[in-house]
Amino acid sequence: MAHETPYVGRSMPRPQDPRLLRGQGRYVDDIEEVGAWHAAIVRSPVAHGRLTRFDATAVLAAGLARLVLGPQELARLADPLPTKWRLPGQHLTGIPVATTTARYVGQPLGVVVAASRAEAEDAAEQVLLEFDELAVVSDTVAATTPGAALLYPEHGSNIAGQIHFGSDDETLTAAIDAAPHVIDREFRVQRIAQSPMEPRGVLAEWIPGTGALTAWLSSQSPQAVRQELAVSLRLRADQVRVVATDVGGSFGGKNTLYVDETMVCAAAMVLGGRVKWIEDRRENLLAAYQGRGQRARARLALDAAGRFLAIHADIVGDLGAFASQAGSGPFQVTGLAIEGPYRFASAGATITGVYTNLVPTCAYRGYGMQEAAWIRERLIDEAARELGLDPVELRLRNLVTPAELPYTTHTMLTYDSGDYPAALRRAAELADRFRPAPDAPGGELRRGVGLACSVEVTGFAPSALLEMFQIHWAGWESGRIRVNEDGSVSVTSGVMAVGQGIETALAQIVADELRVPIDWIRVHLGDTAVSSYSDLSSQASRSVTLAGGALVQAGARMRERMRGLAAGALGVPADAVTWNGAVFGGGPGTGTLTWREVAHRGWMGWGRGDAARIQLEEVADFDPPAITYAYSVAGAAVAAETDTGRLTVEAYWSVNDSGVLVNPMLADGQLAGGIAQGLGLALLEEIRHDPETGQPLCTTLSDYLLPSPSDVPDPVIEHRCTPSTVIPGGFKGLGEGGIIPTAAAVGNALAAAVPEIAADLVATPLAPATLWPMLDKAGLADG
Amino acid sequence: MNDWDVRVTVNGVPHRRTTQARTLLSDFLRHELGLTGTHVGCEQGACGSCTVLVDGEPVRSCLMFAVQADGQQVETVEGLAGDAELSGLQDAMMREHGLQCGFCTPGVLMTLTAAERAGCSAEEAAGPQLGGHTCRCTGYAGIRAAIERHWSRRKDS
Repeated sequence: MAHETPYVGRSMPRPQDPRLLRGQGRYVDDIEEVGAWHAAIVRSPVAHGRLTRFDATAVLAAGLARLVLGPQELARLADPLPTKWRLPGQHLTGIPVATTTARYVGQPLGVVVAASRAEAEDAAEQVLLEFDELAVVSDTVAATTPGAALLYPEHGSNIAGQIHFGSDDETLTAAIDAAPHVIDREFRVQRIAQSPMEPRGVLAEWIPGTGALTAWLSSQSPQAVRQELAVSLRLRADQVRVVATDVGGSFGGKNTLYVDETMVCAAAMVLGGRVKWIEDRRENLLAAYQGRGQRARARLALDAAGRFLAIHADIVGDLGAFASQAGSGPFQVTGLAIEGPYRFASAGATITGVYTNLVPTCAYRGYGMQEAAWIRERLIDEAARELGLDPVELRLRNLVTPAELPYTTHTMLTYDSGDYPAALRRAAELADRFRPAPDAPGGELRRGVGLACSVEVTGFAPSALLEMFQIHWAGWESGRIRVNEDGSVSVTSGVMAVGQGIETALAQIVADELRVPIDWIRVHLGDTAVSSYSDLSSQASRSVTLAGGALVQAGARMRERMRGLAAGALGVPADAVTWNGAVFGGGPGTGTLTWREVAHRGWMGWGRGDAARIQLEEVADFDPPAITYAYSVAGAAVAAETDTGRLTVEAYWSVNDSGVLVNPMLADGQLAGGIAQGLGLALLEEIRHDPETGQPLCTTLSDYLLPSPSDVPDPVIEHRCTPSTVIPGGFKGLGEGGIIPTAAAVGNALAAAVPEIAADLVATPLAPATLWPMLDKAGLADG
Repeated sequence: MNDWDVRVTVNGVPHRRTTQARTLLSDFLRHELGLTGTHVGCEQGACGSCTVLVDGEPVRSCLMFAVQADGQQVETVEGLAGDAELSGLQDAMMREHGLQCGFCTPGVLMTLTAAERAGCSAEEAAGPQLGGHTCRCTGYAGIRAAIERHWSRRKDS
């Protein structure tokens, strides 16, 4: 079988699918558990309190547990987990594994180990806990009210820290004060749970004789988890191996090590054996880091011609009980991304991180960019409505044009390539298919269409940029290609397969560079003993761009090495050698060699020059010169029942530009999946707590509503292709372009359908409980 | 304590095990028989990942005790193709990218297999039948396309 050029650009099914479809997936709970002890986590039942008693004496005396580790034992065993991205002023630099003050319901306080999960849970319930309860602050408003209870009295405030991006406050204030039109709103994006179908889990094994810890762990960043485990458990990096096999979804919630996972590994070290913990859904909704949780006062100033004079957002982020590893990162990105694809005379954002007695927040697909789009695109539609302008026309007046690219925003993002106005015009054409007729009857069912534009930071990297922001992650990625002795090809990188199909995409890229059939290639990811170093791994829409960019380079070098070996064997100069995907040829009378024969010669060490390396392995590190920016324009057509507040998304479309697409079918899958999650955020999902006690009100999938098939129409997806100017291969990321503009498009469609309530559409989810009071106030609820 | 004998045929293979009364069918299949293709997503009957067929009917194996399956025929995802080629539905799921992380997939396959045997239309399969499942990756578009492909292929054949 010869190479069918090119693979990049082709929709191909994934080689791993038959395995998954046959039930041969290997998620962490599927790994052979012979000899494993089972752990249950002791969690705080109160949102704020000093732990005065953690007593497992009776549990151990009765033989109900093999081991119990409470705060005292954990303090001896584990150091705090290091944080990576901090706000200026943030006093907490680590996340304690041992704690004697509970700051949210569900916080891990200890771990109980028994012969089975059921027995461990039984025993955990009998550990005696006593607290001196403290006053609870359950949202950022309560937390910043004078006299509020403090989570960290030694810090003196619940405000963790603050940062400002873009034009300075004086410039912004002057621009807004002088502007003829200002739209001013208070926005809110709710807390949501990433809710991968596979919850978290770890099987930890400590071999005392060699001092080696292996953790099979459901993670999108196994290399980062390995480093964190080493720091916390006081091991050397070479003692720790993390293996992420199949991962049942992650979406940002599995990109760091958690305290409960660390406790399980510590228990394995104490027992000198294997300890397993699989998170259940209740724990996932209770205690896994969550996403979003943001309020913002934002203003958009326009001149008489509708040109954008200024945008300013004052963003307050709910960090929860402590700042997780990236803590304020998503809120900072909201500020950085506030301008989107538009030209503003001035723009800026102030970000304040606030502690509350809730679960800490972290990454969730869309990472601050979704919140920025919600703020900006709602403001723009409100401006159009107040000024009596067409929202598409208003956007076109202000969109950055291709001639202006590369374009640097006030927050110092430099957009590389694209055609934003063309994408908007196309999305507006698609909108015409779904727009209700002007004479459509009002009545109790109102229809409307809305659009939203966004720019997506993809291939989050340049290491120097991360250093400038004092983010303690390396940004670069690497790719390694080995041509084995039989000619088969083994590929690895630091990125991780989490369902997105990255193994297939990387194999397509390598197959094209080597010009070999794709089924000669196998991609190995997720085992820190095999795969490449990577801090960020598969998050921030960086897998194809950065691992792909590295493999383009490594592949080109390997192709030339194979050609050189063939030249030596054929006795001709390298530039005379042809490779047609089946045989190397040296021209008339020189014969031919197969790929396998050349690989074999290579590993035998035959026919190389004295200086040439022997192993057929090429590694390329890729640290891109800049971030590359994808963009998308989304549209939604909604139907709103004014008597019930029920909102249905009847159609959805996306015009997306992620540069060169490696596998359009997988690209569509990424967009469709992101859109569905965006619709969940827009319509349904919200983690709620009792405001007085901080007790969670959503701990099952019956009270935390994920989108079901009937909530999600099949989206219309169109791709445009402007190759990246900074990534070899021209790739841009696309993991988040689906979710970033979704809520804004739905909100704008609802505003068009029911303009009477448009000014109040500032918060998600747009659920009946929120909408009905607005409709009632507008006199629409009675039909 | 409360140990029970359970005799159950899974994918045509008879098994006899002693298990606790409180052992869920899902845990029994996964941890006692080693059939880990059945996945546990919520242990509450909401997500559908653990769906298996008991005497031909789709059930949530997390809402059933293993002892309740005593004497019955259970089918799991491992039995859909066996060592042979993928079933038509499995093949359609692959070709239409109806799975990403693959965690919800076994349950989806079992429900749709029962729907196919029961003579459901494609509309019924993509509507109320798929409606009992939660997928966080695909946005359902790929699954609906797989149903469309598979059901239209059946009509043609």
